[in-house]
Amino acid sequence: MSDTTLLALFEDIDPAADAIDKLHEMGVTDDRLNVISGIPITHKMLGRPHPWTNVSRLALGGAVIGFALGLFLNFGTPLLYNVPVGGQYITPIPPGLILVFEMSFLLALLSTFLGVFLDSFFPNYGPMEYVSEISDGKIGIFFKVPEEQQQTFTDVLSKMGAESVMPTEARPL
Amino acid sequence: MAVSSDYLKGAGKAHEEHHEEEEDPRQYLMYDPKPRGEMNAMVMESMTTTSWKFWVVLGILAFLVASCFFYAWGYMIAEGLGVAGVMRPSYWGVFLVNTVFWIGISHAGTFISAILRVFKAEFRRPFTRAAELMTTFGLIQAGASIFMHLGRVWLAYWMFPIPNERQLWPNFHSPLMWDLLAITTYVLGSTMYLFLPLIPDLAMARDRSTGWRKSFYRVLALGFRGTEGEWRHLTTAMNIFAFAIIPVMFSVHTIVSWDFAMAMRPGWSSTVFGPYFVLGALHSGMGAVAIVLVIMRATMKHMDYFIRKEHFDALGKLMMIVSFAYAYFFFNDYIVQWYGGDKWTDTLLHWLEEGPMAWMFYQMVGFNIVLPFLTLWNKRIRTTPWLLALIGLLINVGMYWERYIIVPVMLTINRMPFTWKLYEPRIEIFLTIGTFSMFLLFYMIASRLIPLIPVWEVQEGQMVHTLRKVGKTHVPTVSEFE
Repeated sequence: MSDTTLLALFEDIDPAADAIDKLHEMGVTDDRLNVISGIPITHKMLGRPHPWTNVSRLALGGAVIGFALGLFLNFGTPLLYNVPVGGQYITPIPPGLILVFEMSFLLALLSTFLGVFLDSFFPNYGPMEYVSEISDGKIGIFFKVPEEQQQTFTDVLSKMGAESVMPTEARPL
Repeated sequence: MAVSSDYLKGAGKAHEEHHEEEEDPRQYLMYDPKPRGEMNAMVMESMTTTSWKFWVVLGILAFLVASCFFYAWGYMIAEGLGVAGVMRPSYWGVFLVNTVFWIGISHAGTFISAILRVFKAEFRRPFTRAAELMTTFGLIQAGASIFMHLGRVWLAYWMFPIPNERQLWPNFHSPLMWDLLAITTYVLGSTMYLFLPLIPDLAMARDRSTGWRKSFYRVLALGFRGTEGEWRHLTTAMNIFAFAIIPVMFSVHTIVSWDFAMAMRPGWSSTVFGPYFVLGALHSGMGAVAIVLVIMRATMKHMDYFIRKEHFDALGKLMMIVSFAYAYFFFNDYIVQWYGGDKWTDTLLHWLEEGPMAWMFYQMVGFNIVLPFLTLWNKRIRTTPWLLALIGLLINVGMYWERYIIVPVMLTINRMPFTWKLYEPRIEIFLTIGTFSMFLLFYMIASRLIPLIPVWEVQEGQMVHTLRKVGKTHVPTVSEFE
């Protein structure tokens, strides 16, 4: 029995959240369901599981690497080629803090940026399930159902306020 | 998603019928929602509708960039720094004035976008991107000005921490190296911070474009669809950026100030130079944002819906507060040096007040401190766009003079009177015109390619704003979505 992907489009958050509840009742599990929207809508509003993100961990990792790199540039490179200047420390700490600070933040910001790319699988120019109404502010619920139940789900979601419920396929954006 | 719009319509109607003495909430963007599709169409039209005047101005700017920036710089590289006015005792001239000025301009974007985001100042929403663009384009000019100052620009890589044939590393204990690192961090950070919230709007533009624009936005939108995961990663990253870019922003202009303050020179050696420079940067940046918003509103279609009097009012208040803080640090820096009674500092201060550059000193004080004090307390002035833009322009003139006084003028008066010579810029004048033209040229091109209004942020803002009935009146209420 093959599955088909349906897309239900909603104008507002409330009916979309109710529809997700109904889909859960009808046996559609969260892993067979995806929500896309034109603005960020929290998982709590829709009653969805908390989406995992590694961005903050990657940012922290970047900061640690930047910190280490800052230490190396500050305190390592003067020792690699020692240029004594009369009465001055080779590895003074106060000016060293500046470079350590800048490198920590630079690497933290870079890794945060890259984290978005890694976690979101950007760039992705292949075919995807999408409709342009999403960027017009609509909320789209994609879910997989057995093909013979397509009509049942369409009727239920239409009654719950869906503007349209239709089968969808991945296509180039 | 008309969660609040119906209610607002009702509230607006009730207001018309029963509460004529109350102000109409629909004068505020957040209480005057439009369907997202309509807002998208407005923003797309503002990008694609171009009059002949636009192309004429673009052509003039392109000519100025070609002649005053590239040709003049090429000429200077070929002939050497001798064609510039820098010489003993003012080895630092207009190039560094421009560097400090453009870094100052760049601070507005981060301030508006990051600090106001952190504090959830809702009025920021429609003009964060316009301010962020100023950061990126301003920093490009700042970077270019530093490279001009280098003279032998092809040796710039000597500053990079790469092992070379002499086995020498850069001296990381030099304020000039701190500059390189801080500005690099800021350029990269602010550009990434510009790009992240732009992705959903690029996806919106992709969905509404054809031809080359479709391909352009498709590539830049990276395949963004707006899934829960994508939003989660994006908003998490934006929050991290908003917090992390603030200390970076402070560090950049503080380090720029240390280029001066670390030297034991009259007028430069000051412990308050760091915060004084940061406040000065915000002062000029806010003024520049006011100018940009007024021009955007006057020249781009539908911008009067997104940029309203409330925004000029809020910006005017910010400019006034920043002006107060700037005045405080200016006076602090001045009085301590004046009271110290050091011979050369005394000579310098008298020279500023009575010498040939006194006009510049008094204009600086007048435009940066007196003018905002006298005008910006008045709401009518704050909400009159052309007046606010004029004040912003004069503040920027004042801030440019301030940097001019700090760099070449203060270098003129030193402990060796036989070297005193007033600096006279030469090719620097053309290169300055070139950097200003390039900034404007980039901005004009960007206004046709990048949605200057973050539509999704505006829609999100309109969704979280509602009017709550308290007693017999409706009170604006903002809810937390995150």
